[in-house]
Amino acid sequence: MKAQQLKIALRNCGFIDPEEIQDYIANEGYLALASSLSGSRQAVIETIKKSGLRGRGGGGFATGLKWEFAAKPEADRKFVVCNADEGDPGAFMDRAVLEGDPHSVLEAMAICGYAIGADEGYIYIRAEYPLAIKRLRIAIAQAEEAGLLGENILNSGFSFKIKLKYGAGAFVCGEETALIKSMEGHRGEPVSKPPFPATKGYRGKPTNVNNVETFANVPAIINRGADWFAAIGTEKSKGTKVFALAGKVKKVGLVEVPMGTTLRQLIYEIGGGILGDKQFQAVQTGGPSGGCLTVKHLDTPIDYESLIAAGSMMGSGGMIVMDEDDCMVAVAQFYLDFTMEESCGKCVPCREGNKALYNILHKITHGEGTMADIDRLKELAVVIKSTSLCGLGQTAPNPVLSTINNFYDDYVQHIVDKKCRAKRCRALLEYRVVEENCIGCGACKRACPADAITGELKQKHFIDQEKCIKCGACHQKCKFNAIAID
Amino acid sequence: MDKVKNTEELKVLQSTLRKAAEEAASSKVVIKIAMATCSIASGSKPVLDFFKEEMPRQPLEFIIKSTGCTGLCHSEPTVEVTLPGKAPVMFGHVDVKKAAAIVNDYIKGGKPVEGTVEVCRS
Amino acid sequence: MTCSINQQIINEKIVEICSEFKNDPDELIAILHKAQGHFGFLPSEVQQAVAEQLHIPVSKVFGVVTFYSYFTMEPKGKYPISICMGTACYVKGAEKVLHEFESKLKIKNGQTTSDGRFSLNTLRCIGACGLAPVVMIGEKVYGGVKPEDAGKIISEYPA
Repeated sequence: MKAQQLKIALRNCGFIDPEEIQDYIANEGYLALASSLSGSRQAVIETIKKSGLRGRGGGGFATGLKWEFAAKPEADRKFVVCNADEGDPGAFMDRAVLEGDPHSVLEAMAICGYAIGADEGYIYIRAEYPLAIKRLRIAIAQAEEAGLLGENILNSGFSFKIKLKYGAGAFVCGEETALIKSMEGHRGEPVSKPPFPATKGYRGKPTNVNNVETFANVPAIINRGADWFAAIGTEKSKGTKVFALAGKVKKVGLVEVPMGTTLRQLIYEIGGGILGDKQFQAVQTGGPSGGCLTVKHLDTPIDYESLIAAGSMMGSGGMIVMDEDDCMVAVAQFYLDFTMEESCGKCVPCREGNKALYNILHKITHGEGTMADIDRLKELAVVIKSTSLCGLGQTAPNPVLSTINNFYDDYVQHIVDKKCRAKRCRALLEYRVVEENCIGCGACKRACPADAITGELKQKHFIDQEKCIKCGACHQKCKFNAIAID
Repeated sequence: MDKVKNTEELKVLQSTLRKAAEEAASSKVVIKIAMATCSIASGSKPVLDFFKEEMPRQPLEFIIKSTGCTGLCHSEPTVEVTLPGKAPVMFGHVDVKKAAAIVNDYIKGGKPVEGTVEVCRS
Repeated sequence: MTCSINQQIINEKIVEICSEFKNDPDELIAILHKAQGHFGFLPSEVQQAVAEQLHIPVSKVFGVVTFYSYFTMEPKGKYPISICMGTACYVKGAEKVLHEFESKLKIKNGQTTSDGRFSLNTLRCIGACGLAPVVMIGEKVYGGVKPEDAGKIISEYPA
């Protein structure tokens, strides 16, 4: 049987009007909050623990346990924070949930507030998501008007308010201690744990941080029961996961599948296979912290442990499919360019180490690498992983390690043959005239910005490799397929 | 909206709203247009405007809703039409021209329109 | 870049914005968002005014402004062009799209045209991966952009 989607976090997305609270209420909305408020705080935590829900932002920490840690300490104030600073390039599930079903997140935050004993919640959201911000504001106002947020909700004595805080573009703020620093108006630099936010978080008070998708699961779990949720998925990874399926796949989109679905099912059955029926080369999961998996991993079931064992990770759910035209060394360089820029600079291994990794990769993609560079990459990667302060640095070398492990031949080709099979690395390309096709029209000669092309009109032309800057202008201009790229 | 005072009131409100939605679905044409960032970027706004302008001219009772992301990035803009008593049908790559065909052929004439998309429901 | 905005006007506006947030240093990022929304960018004069109003060192304000990529100390063009460099856009050829915009506008990534009409920037994923490669001009999103579309897109924006 073909693999099927199962929508829990996305249950209302695309089906209800996100700007009408009535639509949400008609679909079991705020019922989970009502039933939570009629029971004990501990009962809510027990339900979440029993469901097996784990953090959907990447780490996969048990949500119920996290709530229990934040519930324990006595404090005059506690906070619930929703991490909506979706920074992983290639992931947009949080935006979809906030734009399509904002009330599910608000309801879950209130439930969490009740469970841990907090009466204030903050949504830390990217300023780059104006529509999500607008819909959240509408949703908060409507919920307050309906008495489902604010003072004495449903006459239970429990009060809960939610405010928005804006991120300003820093990937490291996905790390919860950095996020809290940013909420307090500082540079978003992580601090070492312990103390964990559950004991000392926002404004020094116990704080529970969960991501959007994690929260979106909570009302469904309360309404249908922990056993229902725990019956979905694998032994250690329960429920479903939303993936942003993108790249070279036919049906690009946002999909939600039960944990345990294989990569093959996701890419070929739900995603419809590779665009243009080209050859599958790799699938990248986990964003800049994850890795590139290859054909031999296609039957890996999607769960937290299996993906880590395969050399990648779940991450927030970006899934980029790559075909034969993608250069895996360049992809590793692309991710390192990202982490190098996004490193906050606080700890040395991440700040300097990732830069060094990037420089070596740059050398290799420019035809200046040596075989010893591969060992250097590996050695550096291990040091960075084991000594960085936060998750960003600890996972940053993953794209390098996974591509070395799975696409070793590509590295060798770049280093020894000075060639890029996918023809992506410009410095390694060689443009030459295909004599039998050249009619001597001179279009390439006129287009060449480096005066590297010689030849008389109606005569075969010639490209001087010494002068060629590999811009590709001749190739673009030639109408007779007379410029080949090797 | 009035304040919901307790759980009982919430449950009553919920069943009232649900009944109203079911009744509407059995007697009215329900048109849902995805209006998430990527839908808007692929051109859903003129489609929404078209339905809002065109439907009142038809001798039909209807509801137009804008929704969030349907997850069908590959087929945006998407429009879901539910004729009274029928199963919902999702149309992909809808522009104003196709929207006109949906109104004339499918909504008024009950005839199929090409370019439907399979949808997973919860 | 020199700042042509009058210091007194800056101070008045910053006093107004900061008081909206009760002069709370915790709200520094929100205040900077609002100030950038008003002035278009955050020159040192604006940062100084914010620091004074919140009674925090200007180095702290500068540290925050330079940490977050959303904040800019340079004025953007009348039509800011952003090329998405998220992974999905990257694998679908966003680099070539960027190069074409650079050569058409005769500026590099991060610069503004001399007439102040266009500025060119890359950004990290706007979450419209389904439409990759994506280019944003102001609030408008263009999906499935090919390098050869650059000229046509630019011509949509008159001087």
